[in-house]
Amino acid sequence: MADQANFEDDAMQFASQLYSAALRMTRNPADAEDVVQETYLKAYRAYGSFREGTNLKAWLYRILTNTYINRYRKAQRRPSEVELGELQDLYLFRRLGEQSGATESAEAEVLEQFVDTDVIEALESLPENFRMAVLLADVEGFAYKEIADMLDIPIGTVMSRLHRGRKALQKKLWHLAEERGITGRAS
Amino acid sequence: MSRSCEQATEQIYFYLDGEMSYFRRLRIRWHLRRCGHCDCAFDFEEKVKEMIREKSRTEPSMELIDRLHALLREEAGNDSER
Repeated sequence: MADQANFEDDAMQFASQLYSAALRMTRNPADAEDVVQETYLKAYRAYGSFREGTNLKAWLYRILTNTYINRYRKAQRRPSEVELGELQDLYLFRRLGEQSGATESAEAEVLEQFVDTDVIEALESLPENFRMAVLLADVEGFAYKEIADMLDIPIGTVMSRLHRGRKALQKKLWHLAEERGITGRAS
Repeated sequence: MSRSCEQATEQIYFYLDGEMSYFRRLRIRWHLRRCGHCDCAFDFEEKVKEMIREKSRTEPSMELIDRLHALLREEAGNDSER
């Protein structure tokens, strides 16, 4: 059992990360702040049930994720299962290769030209189910099993959402690269 | 693209995510050492993953952090009054 008196010292170190994740979920700063505050309040009240020595970050993300889902999925009142259509493996890698006939190091150089706002726009363009999986795996670094527990879905569903979400994200990045003229075509 | 390239590509995310058994990992690494194209594709996907992690953070305002501290102290104060 964790001591509630230590909660502030233990948990506040994750506040920046939790806010960033909440912002990617809600796509709106005011809502993200609400979700983070509610998360901290719930976590504080439940801290007695947190088992010390287990993963505090994962425990907090689970509360964050549930808070977001309860608040916003109810409001949507529609099933959020969206399909993404056919998606090719290695989307970005293949497009870049075709485009420039580039050497393989040039493909990696294109990545350096993406700025934060590109990646954020691409991530936020994903339908919610896919966005959550990519966010929790790629940005936050959780394992498939941890994500399955957080979202309360089977591990196979985590994998399929994550893998499809990544491909869709790459497709979006490719479109952004084309718009901005950073596909390597000019050189 | 050979059958072993197809198999490697199908499993690329399990490999990069560290969600693969030791012997399957070895099989992939064996292939990557022999196939320059797949090796580059795997490197590239790993870089994309890194890029997403590094370029998708937004810092909160100091005001939010202050408010969270205040919220927790107020809650702790309420507890001690009960």
